[in-house]
Amino acid sequence: MGEAIVITSGKGGVGKTTTTANLGTALALQGKKVCLVDTDIGLRNLDVVLGLENRIIYDLVDVIEGRCKVHQAIVRDKRVDEKLFLLPAAQTTDKNAVNPEQMKSLVEELKREYDYVLIDCPAGIEQGYRNAVAGADRAIVVTTPEISAVRDADRIIGLLEQEDIEPPRLIINRIRKKLMNKEDNLDINDITTHLSIDLLGIIIESDDVISASNKGEPIVMDPNNKAALGYRNVARRILGESVPLMSIDDDQKGVFAKIKSLFSR
Amino acid sequence: MKKQLVHIKGTKEGLVLRLDDCCAYADLLEELENRVSEGGLDNRVDVQLDLGFRFLTKEQKNDLVQVVEKSGNMHVSSVFSEVISVNESNEMVLASKRDTYIGIVRSGQIVQATGDIVIVGDVNPNGRVEAGGSIYVLGKLKGQVHAGFEGNKDAIIVASHFEPTHVFIADQIDIMSNEKTFISQHVDQIIAYIDQNGVIAYERLQEAKNLRPSLNTIQGGS
Repeated sequence: MGEAIVITSGKGGVGKTTTTANLGTALALQGKKVCLVDTDIGLRNLDVVLGLENRIIYDLVDVIEGRCKVHQAIVRDKRVDEKLFLLPAAQTTDKNAVNPEQMKSLVEELKREYDYVLIDCPAGIEQGYRNAVAGADRAIVVTTPEISAVRDADRIIGLLEQEDIEPPRLIINRIRKKLMNKEDNLDINDITTHLSIDLLGIIIESDDVISASNKGEPIVMDPNNKAALGYRNVARRILGESVPLMSIDDDQKGVFAKIKSLFSR
Repeated sequence: MKKQLVHIKGTKEGLVLRLDDCCAYADLLEELENRVSEGGLDNRVDVQLDLGFRFLTKEQKNDLVQVVEKSGNMHVSSVFSEVISVNESNEMVLASKRDTYIGIVRSGQIVQATGDIVIVGDVNPNGRVEAGGSIYVLGKLKGQVHAGFEGNKDAIIVASHFEPTHVFIADQIDIMSNEKTFISQHVDQIIAYIDQNGVIAYERLQEAKNLRPSLNTIQGGS
């Protein structure tokens, strides 16, 4: 029996879908059988980020309305051998096409076959959110070091605490080292004390994340990228390993750069 | 001999009319009317009505007061009764209750209490606490608080870290802005209260004892 994890944030554009794609891939690379479920009905893009758009035949609404079997709708990612699967959202209808009870039984069914079911939640706190949370055993809240994202994360944590699931855990996404060290900016400590939930990991901002998404290839496939390392660490923490929090400082500096930084400070 | 239904007693504060609590209300009213109309008073006196264990509605109490004051020289200062209705009692219990909320009041959440409330945790921005009595926040207060929301002007707001966006006490509203120098310079251990001018004021927590001595329910400490 697997575990269902919902990835949510409240605010849009903080990286829920990217996080879902990369965490799923990282867990699959660790040898777990993972199914990603896109619940952003009407605005699906988890399939695009994974580069599986052109392989979709049936979708989540087809499954729920009984037009096809679950395994017919699920798309297999060939890059991670027999480990990573996607249940895409429908694009032609909206979030009211599904209700929380239907989602719950669907996720129950998936949990029997997969080690991890990652549910990509749409932005907002309406029907789409309720659908996404319905079947989850635990939740991951994604935020960025911006006050608006942290506010919405606070709201969503409050809502998640009303649900019958484990206390949510936090991922701080798109961390920019330059901004963190300046005053008047939220640093990791400010955010975690404000939200007071467990920190699951931090992801450092990298331009490659966007290029990788555009290519339909999760960044986590690139072993040299810092953001990829962040996602891999999160995946290992989900699996129960204890991994120290990565430092946000650049470590690959030459001697000259180090001397320069001594003077520029 | 017929039993006397109205006893008149003189005290330092004025006259006390002790009304029998076993006879019929109509008889009592009649006898009271007779007794007060006897007169014999030269100047105005304050009178207290003692109803004993008789329960009277508001209208009945008003009737009694009117009967007494009709005589001209008597002014009813108070009406005392040993009994109150279950409803009144429940309301009093609720108003004096102290609730405890353990956890963080997050954005969009509203925590309500009929009496006082103690928040063991933070109140985050856009979180709101409403209480009929006072509000005590053991964590960081960064949201909105409304103490005495049914009109209790004696209610106070206390926080170990005081940085709210809006403060309401009874019908007073205070929006926190940078101009409030006291609050922007001091954020730790603050009490908010309504001062003698009727507006919300802030002080260090240590002043609470002088500002609201009535809230103290325990003596000594020796």
